[in-house]
Amino acid sequence: MSAITAHKDPKLPPPVDLPEGADWVKALALFDPHVAETLVAVARTLYPHEGLPERVYRRTVFHFDAMAAKAPGAAQTFAEFVDLVDGALPMAFLELTESYRLQVLKGIEATTAFQLVQRSTVRFLYDDLEVWQAFGYEGASVHLGGYVKRGFNDLDWLPDPPPGV
Amino acid sequence: MTAYELDDDGVVVIIGSGAGGGTLANELAQRGIDVVLLEAGKHLTPDDFVNDEWGGYEMLSWLDKRTSSGNWRVAKDHPTAPSWSCQVVGGTTTHWSACCYRLIADEMRAKTVYGDIPGTTLIDWPITLEEIEPYYDLAEAKMGVTRTNGLPGLPANNNFKVMYAGASALGLNVSTGRHAINSVPYDGRPATTQDGFTITGDKVGSRWSTLNVEIPRGLATGKLELRPQSRAVQIEHDEAGKASAVVYVDAAGVTHRQKARAVVMAGNCVESSRLLLHSKSARFPDGLANGYGHVGRHYLRHLIQTVWSVFDKPVYMHRGEIMGGMIDDFVRHDPGRGFAGGYYIEMNSMGLPTTAAFMDPGWWGRDFVSVIEQYANMAGIFMSGEDMPQADNRVTLTDEVDAYGVPVANIHYDDHPNDLKMRVHGYKQLTAIHKAAGAKRSIEAPAYPASHNLGSNRMAAKPEDGVLDGNCRAWEVPNLFITDGSNFATGGACNPTLTIVALAIRQADFMAKQMAAGEL
Repeated sequence: MSAITAHKDPKLPPPVDLPEGADWVKALALFDPHVAETLVAVARTLYPHEGLPERVYRRTVFHFDAMAAKAPGAAQTFAEFVDLVDGALPMAFLELTESYRLQVLKGIEATTAFQLVQRSTVRFLYDDLEVWQAFGYEGASVHLGGYVKRGFNDLDWLPDPPPGV
Repeated sequence: MTAYELDDDGVVVIIGSGAGGGTLANELAQRGIDVVLLEAGKHLTPDDFVNDEWGGYEMLSWLDKRTSSGNWRVAKDHPTAPSWSCQVVGGTTTHWSACCYRLIADEMRAKTVYGDIPGTTLIDWPITLEEIEPYYDLAEAKMGVTRTNGLPGLPANNNFKVMYAGASALGLNVSTGRHAINSVPYDGRPATTQDGFTITGDKVGSRWSTLNVEIPRGLATGKLELRPQSRAVQIEHDEAGKASAVVYVDAAGVTHRQKARAVVMAGNCVESSRLLLHSKSARFPDGLANGYGHVGRHYLRHLIQTVWSVFDKPVYMHRGEIMGGMIDDFVRHDPGRGFAGGYYIEMNSMGLPTTAAFMDPGWWGRDFVSVIEQYANMAGIFMSGEDMPQADNRVTLTDEVDAYGVPVANIHYDDHPNDLKMRVHGYKQLTAIHKAAGAKRSIEAPAYPASHNLGSNRMAAKPEDGVLDGNCRAWEVPNLFITDGSNFATGGACNPTLTIVALAIRQADFMAKQMAAGEL
């Protein structure tokens, strides 16, 4: 953990608070538990941050579910994606170990379905307040007066440039 | 509030309220000219804006579908969003990072200075630097550009300290640059609080935009009417071949026809070309002002790329103004480098969400993870360079129509060999600067969706070479003007907004004189 505090803009809705444990899937509008857990495993295989808890990947899939609930085209693509990763080898994606999961994902990299899932994972995983906190991104600042008095020029491991440069 | 009648044919109708259209609207209103300003987006206030990268993107961006083709990387990474501009009152000035550099004389004589380069459609500008200079002065004063008019430069932030250490070790000429962001209070607007969110709307108002400066002042004259959420779909002309009206659709979906004394297009490059191509008639079967086939062609987007580097210790690059650093050693054309044209090196900062999204779209796995986990220790450095005009790099219409019945635009772009040479040269310099400051690893990030959209309705000394004359007036339609970046004859290297604003002020002078003389 870095020595910062991350903030979301107070005008935005607060981060979603999912139940701990297997019950988290009950918060979803569309995905069934198998689809949801498979997508969580895919998100973690794509972006395997050892230090991040399962709940940040679940929140990412929660956002996929919201996308799918809004757009039938996206819902269909997520469903196709899960069929693709489950059908690639004789065992379901969830049952595979990391090396086989990688093999399956590399095999479908060129598909539209993979691109939607990979891009959406980046879109939502790295927009998560807990991830910001973990990786040292402080986020919204205007409501705190910006960074002018909160370290915009506090880097001290290089010499300061001459004044007015 | 001033309100003009739809059948009032004495008004100048401007389409688009960004750097070009918003500035021109105010400049004409200040000269006593009646103006209707059509803007496709909403009229937001600083209170509406958010300090959030994706939240701001979704609030401000022009998100209508486009398609792309050609061998540019953008077509692979961002196939349905190849160009990035805003749909909101203030246009892309609600988003821009406020770098303000002037074109140099050689850039405005690109054909003469660079010579014959196979595959390019280089021309010289029909106007000289000397002709624009007085307008650059006016633009810098109204925008409050740092290091002009006695205004101090932006202070060094953390990311700049990294850039400065590397660049000065290499003997390069580095400063925090020039920006339309207040380093001290100016023109009724406060100094920056270094909040780092100028590009999601600027809640503080320390940065110039047409939303917070030009449009309010234009409205205050009583000569300007702003119509937000008004989507232009067609430009009509009369029997004499003069632009006579703009057809637009309002927020309720109702279609209107605003008559016009003159029409000015300022909807950003892609939309201006798209609207001209769509405005077909018996007299202009290939689109308005397109008798010579130049509308949509010679599209430019600058050679934009970033290097993100990881250091041993924290940088927190998100703290403070995001592009407050500039190196101008590579701006001048130097044949010894093996390519034509030049480029600016600028500082670049992004938050974690967009650093992750744009560092290398499509990159996943443990290697990516090992880099992005060190976000706190990352610094960014960027270049904006001149790309070569090519006839087939162009905006065209597809068979698919949007919700307003206007064909979706396709943007085709193939990289020219000169572009590749400059990109390689640039990546080497950017990486060398960070290495000299102690970078452990540097990542070459590709271009993001094009935000410096230029040239697709270019001005030229003769109609055989471009859509517009040196006054940004269509050769074929004497009361039709363009005042966005599509009017650039060639791209130059620097961020284009200052030049767009200077040309808009010049445009206002020209139009006012023509009107006074009874010629417009």
